Amino acid sequence: MFRKVLVANRGEIAVRVMRALREMKIASVAVYSDVDRNALHVRMADEAIGIGPAPSGESYLRGDKIVAAARSTGAEAIHPGYGFLSENAEFAALCEQEGLVFIGPPASAIQKLGSKTSARELAKKAGTPIPPGTEEALKDASEAKRIANEIGYPVILKAAAGGGGKGMRRVEREEDLEAALRDASSEAERSFRNADVYIEKFIVRPRHIEIQILGDQHGNMIYLGERECSVQRRHQKVIEEAPSPFIVRHPELRAQMGEAAVAAAKAAGYFNAGTVEFLADESGRFYFLEMNTRLQVEHPVTECITGIDLVKWQLRIAAGEPLTIRQEDVSIRGWSMECRLYAEDPDQGYLPSPGLISALSLPGGPGIRIDSGVYEGWTVPFDYDPLLIKLVAWAENRDEVIARLIRALEETHIGGIKTNIEFFLDVLGDAIFQAGEIHTGFLEEWFVRRKKHEFSAAEIDAAKMVATLASTQRKIETVQPHVRSKWKELPLR
Amino acid sequence: MSAALVERGVWSLLDGVTQREFRVERDGEDFVLTLRGRSMRIRIEDPRGWTATSSGKSNTGLAKVSTPMPGKVVRVLVHVGDLVQASQGLVVVEAMKMQNELKSPIAGIVKQVQALEGATVSANQVLVVVESSAS
Repeated sequence: MFRKVLVANRGEIAVRVMRALREMKIASVAVYSDVDRNALHVRMADEAIGIGPAPSGESYLRGDKIVAAARSTGAEAIHPGYGFLSENAEFAALCEQEGLVFIGPPASAIQKLGSKTSARELAKKAGTPIPPGTEEALKDASEAKRIANEIGYPVILKAAAGGGGKGMRRVEREEDLEAALRDASSEAERSFRNADVYIEKFIVRPRHIEIQILGDQHGNMIYLGERECSVQRRHQKVIEEAPSPFIVRHPELRAQMGEAAVAAAKAAGYFNAGTVEFLADESGRFYFLEMNTRLQVEHPVTECITGIDLVKWQLRIAAGEPLTIRQEDVSIRGWSMECRLYAEDPDQGYLPSPGLISALSLPGGPGIRIDSGVYEGWTVPFDYDPLLIKLVAWAENRDEVIARLIRALEETHIGGIKTNIEFFLDVLGDAIFQAGEIHTGFLEEWFVRRKKHEFSAAEIDAAKMVATLASTQRKIETVQPHVRSKWKELPLR
Repeated sequence: MSAALVERGVWSLLDGVTQREFRVERDGEDFVLTLRGRSMRIRIEDPRGWTATSSGKSNTGLAKVSTPMPGKVVRVLVHVGDLVQASQGLVVVEAMKMQNELKSPIAGIVKQVQALEGATVSANQVLVVVESSAS
């Protein structure tokens, strides 16, 4: 095992990795930018080294500086966390060249899975289902009709050179296909000077379900169940849970998706931890979306239901140890759910809200896990991701875990900056969410029906009284009778 | 009724046997009170201050455009003297990988630009002043 590991990241994930290092008695090295000198991940580390100015392009994304930091501190391996350099094949290759262990998959696997088209091809070869359709341009309407009949309606026409919804048409019935193809093609021509259009099955109200895999360097690979991350805003996951309420209703899918994920990863020569993302439709068909070749933000929910520490296994696998957990050893217990607490202002369209954390109270009690990257008195810089804290709960079933998260959110207070705590209280209280009827468009629909929280008259009266008291706080403090400790009144002998 | 300041900024109020705990923060003239994760804004009115209140849109036809979030100015889209339309973009501020374009609330002439590309700005800082062309 390694003696010293550098963590090439910041915030809660750097803290998370350092906790595993501490438990494994491995020394930790933090890297920090100029604005992160006092950040929590630096305070957690055994050694810390500055790597430059605040913009991540001049610090956390500078592979050369990070390798130099590992060299000068004598670290043997680098954990990249998520984001930053974690899916950068060049950085992984640089580590390999420099004789440092990159804690993750080999550079070659990152390369293969990095581009969506090559990952899709690889998945297809491995027998992992991909969304049906063509990737080459359609020749004419009759070809479009033939393929649409094969894959089934609704279908979506997409500009081959496209993006941003231009040259896209959703088609429900065969009689509309020809006109839609003409429209999509001419719009594509106008927008991209390329009239090529291809066809794909349109997945109605899809769920985002992903499989966690873990593989060693000796050919062993297992899947650790699924996570459902259908609650998303602007393609950003907001609430994640494991298991998936959908898979619980279709239990045969777990092994099917798990085996498909392992097959795709093995085809890429993958090892270490990784995640294969799928879209599942209402009938239970699932399609390969992409593979994330790193530890995911939402990994704690899998750790909670399987009891397996993914970060520790990442370290053991990187050090060449064999995976001693067999597929049949993996069992799922209870339910886990995570809320990503962000520094953002719900009253300003969820704009970032960096700044000084003037007060911080975190929840505790049964089944609560806090992965935090902040502390009271620290100023959240505006240079990085707004994720402050991951609030994770575990309970025996989904209803209990929702109640537990609500309870924990009510105990949480982050003062001085704006956060999305109330947003979570509202989503978790939603009847449709509670019924597990979620899909990737869930939040969009929910925002429309969202009800504003109403305080009772008694609560408002009480609040007014407290505000009045707080406004005259100094006066009250002096008026309060001095209470003397009984201990001081004991006669000295 | 019993009120106790149990921690810095935390009040416990007993109304009969009903216990409520409020977290109190000051935000300018307002108090933000949080009860079980939910916040409300309360202003303690001082009658002596009533005449002095002024809002962002004054009757002089000046609109002061400020950034709602702290961050870095990435683009300044107008110059002093420019004619702008209502909801035309003026300045782009970036924080936490997100860009926010500040738009003019009114049509008019740009009177002041207090933003430099690359400069760090704080929340509620006025960056552009636009004078109404209708006045």
